[in-house]
Amino acid sequence: MAASISGLLKPWTPRVFLVRWSRYNPYYLEPEVRKEAYSTPETELSAEEKEQRELKALRPIKAATSGVNSSVFSDPVLSKFINMLMTDGNKVLAREIVTQTLESIKRKQVEKYHKAPEGKKEEIECNPYTIFHQALENCKPVVGLASIQKGGKYYQVPIPLTDNRRRFLAMKWMITECRDNKHRRTHMYEKLSQELLAASVKEGNVIKKKFELHKMAEANRAYAHYRWW
Amino acid sequence: MALHRLSFRLRQTVTHVRSLHTSGCGQQQEAVAVESEPEPFSVFRAQENDPACQSEKYIGQYYTLPSAHIRTLFPHGLPWRYQQQVKTFNEACMMVRQPALEVISYLKKTDYSKPSLRYLFYGLKGSGKTMSLCHTVHFCYTQGWLVLHVPDAHLWVKNCKELLPSSYNTSRFDQPLQATEWLRNFRITNEHFLSKIKTKQRYVWTKREFTEDGSPLGELVDQGISRVKSSSDVVGAVMKELRLQSGQPESDFRLAVAVDGVNALWGRSTIKKEDKSAFPLIRCLACLSFLLLSGGSGGAMTTTGSLYTSKSAYLPQELLGERGFDSMDPFIPVSVPNYSDKEFESCYLYFMDRQWLQHPQSRTEEGKKELIFLSNRNPSMLDRICAFL
Repeated sequence: MAASISGLLKPWTPRVFLVRWSRYNPYYLEPEVRKEAYSTPETELSAEEKEQRELKALRPIKAATSGVNSSVFSDPVLSKFINMLMTDGNKVLAREIVTQTLESIKRKQVEKYHKAPEGKKEEIECNPYTIFHQALENCKPVVGLASIQKGGKYYQVPIPLTDNRRRFLAMKWMITECRDNKHRRTHMYEKLSQELLAASVKEGNVIKKKFELHKMAEANRAYAHYRWW
Repeated sequence: MALHRLSFRLRQTVTHVRSLHTSGCGQQQEAVAVESEPEPFSVFRAQENDPACQSEKYIGQYYTLPSAHIRTLFPHGLPWRYQQQVKTFNEACMMVRQPALEVISYLKKTDYSKPSLRYLFYGLKGSGKTMSLCHTVHFCYTQGWLVLHVPDAHLWVKNCKELLPSSYNTSRFDQPLQATEWLRNFRITNEHFLSKIKTKQRYVWTKREFTEDGSPLGELVDQGISRVKSSSDVVGAVMKELRLQSGQPESDFRLAVAVDGVNALWGRSTIKKEDKSAFPLIRCLACLSFLLLSGGSGGAMTTTGSLYTSKSAYLPQELLGERGFDSMDPFIPVSVPNYSDKEFESCYLYFMDRQWLQHPQSRTEEGKKELIFLSNRNPSMLDRICAFL
């Protein structure tokens, strides 16, 4: 549908150009942020990549958001997590919290590593990024519940979830758990680091919540045929 | 389409190949630059752990501080981030750098009959002034000197919780809390000197409490710790005693005074009287400036930025102000720059060895270039960035 519209619309710029919003004319192309894409010479490109390059020379390109960068240390999952943690647009504070979380996870693990005897050292995982990704993977639910109306009543029906929805639910549960159910006087990064470390070994309240959801879905298995998609 | 590209990027960061070749090259270059005997496992660690024997060829290398020394010498002197690093790595390693070595060499060659010299560390924020000061203090401790270490003079000037009018001099004010804490730490550092040094004067604290002359310094210090109200007076008395006794030729100990944030003594303070009039003189500060500017066998201080100075001001002229500069004059300024190439390499290798750089990309050449760019080789910025990588 976007292709047919873009055939009709010529490249036009509105008088007031809203750069930071995401509603662009579908004619606009995504920006290319990776450094490798610009440093490969002409000869190494395949035919379709050459076509892409020529298209980019002609068509207008969307403005890059402030969250993406071409640093080698950038991680899209982590950026998403920072955005979800942010309130009132205070990205600086959200980023600070997440970097302090990573630092505290690493400190705890490295301390354990240095105090452990020689045989146990390989088992201790010190990389905060792998711990974060592992914890998120462990928190992702496999099936979700949807409220479907049939014959005047609403039933909780188990449905498959898309990848994005699963990632969103895992992050949302993690953040709400740390905000609500912990002691009032601890810092957010401390609460997050404890919860992430627990989740990476499949313990903790978020994992419990995921299992409860799975149990509910299992219990309502009979209504699964109410789903029509 | 954008999602597709994002997944490509994720795949690239996850499936990397750790390049052993580049880290090997780095180590070989280190060996050539240092010109010491080829060490089998760590080129960035110095063989010499004693500050007195460290020379120019150890610049950039890390030496280990024994944990017993840390507990006695530095109950209050080290920066907070460094203390956390010591706890995490289970060892305390400090880098040997040019400014500290310079001041140590001057201290070794001092002529004790002439009036003492003052050295001032200055530099940008986070360039390693406090650490250089701690290095010098460790040297003084290993030589057996009496160390008078004030960890942060700014603490005495701002955020004061309790203020009492002084009994000794009515126009001045006291800070009992900070004074007792400082006395406690002073006692931990200089245990063995407290029984040797005797007071030369009789001190009367209240109607019934007094200290006779000829009693050991330990008694004075204990008096100050137990009686919080008169602790600032005790601080003044201790400083006066030490100044008098170290100046005389028959004394058998050398006094080293190390003050961090010395520009607080002449800068503005946040303490005001109740009717918001001009801030009163503070007892501890007055004693300290008296001590610094006259006598003593050696003095080393650092300046740090304070509330009322701009962030980019780091030269002694700007931070000390006119009054401070005139009263400190003459002194030897020692600049503490950011890491040089060699020092940066050494720091990078140390972090790798201690499993601190965990991100797979940080171990590649591009990651290293990005670290140099982000931190501008500033030691504290590098530490903060590597903390979450």
